[in-house]
Amino acid sequence: MSAAMVLYDWTPDVRCYAVRLGLSLMGMTYEVRAVDMDLPMAQRPAGLRPGERPPLLVAGGVRLSRPGAIMPFIARQPGVARAWLDPAHEWAILDWLDFGAAALDTMAAARDIAFGTTLPVLPPMGALAAALRRMEDHMSARAMEGHDWFASPAASIADVVLFVTFALTVDLGVERDTCPALRRWARRMRGLPGFMVMPGVPDYA
Amino acid sequence: MKRWQPVSVLSDIRRGEVAGVRIGGREVVLWREDAPTPTLHAWEDRCPHRGMRLSFGFVRDDALGCLYHGWQFGGGARCRLIPAHPQVRVPASIHVQAYGVREHAGLAWVSMDGAEDFPAEGTGPGNVLPVRTLHVNAPVGVLRHVTGIAPDAGIAWHGPVGLAVHEPAAGQAMLHVVRVAAAQDVSPLALSRWAERLRDAVESGAATAAVMNELAAGERA
Repeated sequence: MSAAMVLYDWTPDVRCYAVRLGLSLMGMTYEVRAVDMDLPMAQRPAGLRPGERPPLLVAGGVRLSRPGAIMPFIARQPGVARAWLDPAHEWAILDWLDFGAAALDTMAAARDIAFGTTLPVLPPMGALAAALRRMEDHMSARAMEGHDWFASPAASIADVVLFVTFALTVDLGVERDTCPALRRWARRMRGLPGFMVMPGVPDYA
Repeated sequence: MKRWQPVSVLSDIRRGEVAGVRIGGREVVLWREDAPTPTLHAWEDRCPHRGMRLSFGFVRDDALGCLYHGWQFGGGARCRLIPAHPQVRVPASIHVQAYGVREHAGLAWVSMDGAEDFPAEGTGPGNVLPVRTLHVNAPVGVLRHVTGIAPDAGIAWHGPVGLAVHEPAAGQAMLHVVRVAAAQDVSPLALSRWAERLRDAVESGAATAAVMNELAAGERA
């Protein structure tokens, strides 16, 4: 019997990490097909169609590749706590999810530049710095209003994607002391049951 | 010159928490004990064992543990436990560089050059609450000038609002905002938004007088 959900996963990819983290936090069981995008096409899993790349979540007839779509799809599965896409705060969650997914794309592109060179070159940080600042200002205000999370009373799928963006900017030279509100929020994320790390995201700090 | 620098609002370093800050390009770890009277510490942000940043570590009761190998450092900055060698009585020479640290006016103040006296003690208004620390991409001198902090002063008071700055690295500044607790009409949220406007004006090179005037006029919303 095959699992209800299959994730084509490339470990070092930041979008794949976002999906793994979401699946883990939301307590989903799934089957992993490991993919190495550095290998030639012939050595990748047969289930991956031409043009498709990880992350790819296959469930029934659905094939999803974007974290912004995968997260709500997981959150709406039976047995997943409603709070991850709290109906009472659904639009605010989806708004920050979209913001986070765009920031994640920006961050992924910047990482590709930073890690794809033979010399330590920092990519242009303008768009990412602007996104982080908006997040920092927002979470400063949320804290003053007595809230712990981006868009709802509990952790949501927006927090998951935004966390990945923030956590991996360490690799791009963003110092943690410039984002005190995000640092406090990220520490809270690490304390959630099911939290997991990837290379570049330490267990703590 | 021996001096004390404001490096963080106290609300960013609560009981049992650890946070790295930079002061003039040097990395410092701030941490507060998880104990009934939780003392605040400021040390060099480097484990003497393998050089790991201690700000990635964790607070256990009244000690700071390194994330790498769990070496534990107690209040005196001395190593007191090496988990891989639990029987070893750790020599006193294994310690972290500790800096002077004080809590005053809602802020953590650090002296990295062994200043003994703390001149700000007992000055300024009492019962001050932290609001927020913001990163500003501008030289610290510009921000000191704009906020009216005198060269020998650590903090500038504008009515019930206190502003302080320090330099994490050359060309950058951290702006610390505090407020007098008794001033009920000063909303922390409005003050935070005001500080964002000041930051944006300073960074973009726009006129800052109008923003500072808002503070004088009490128009912080």
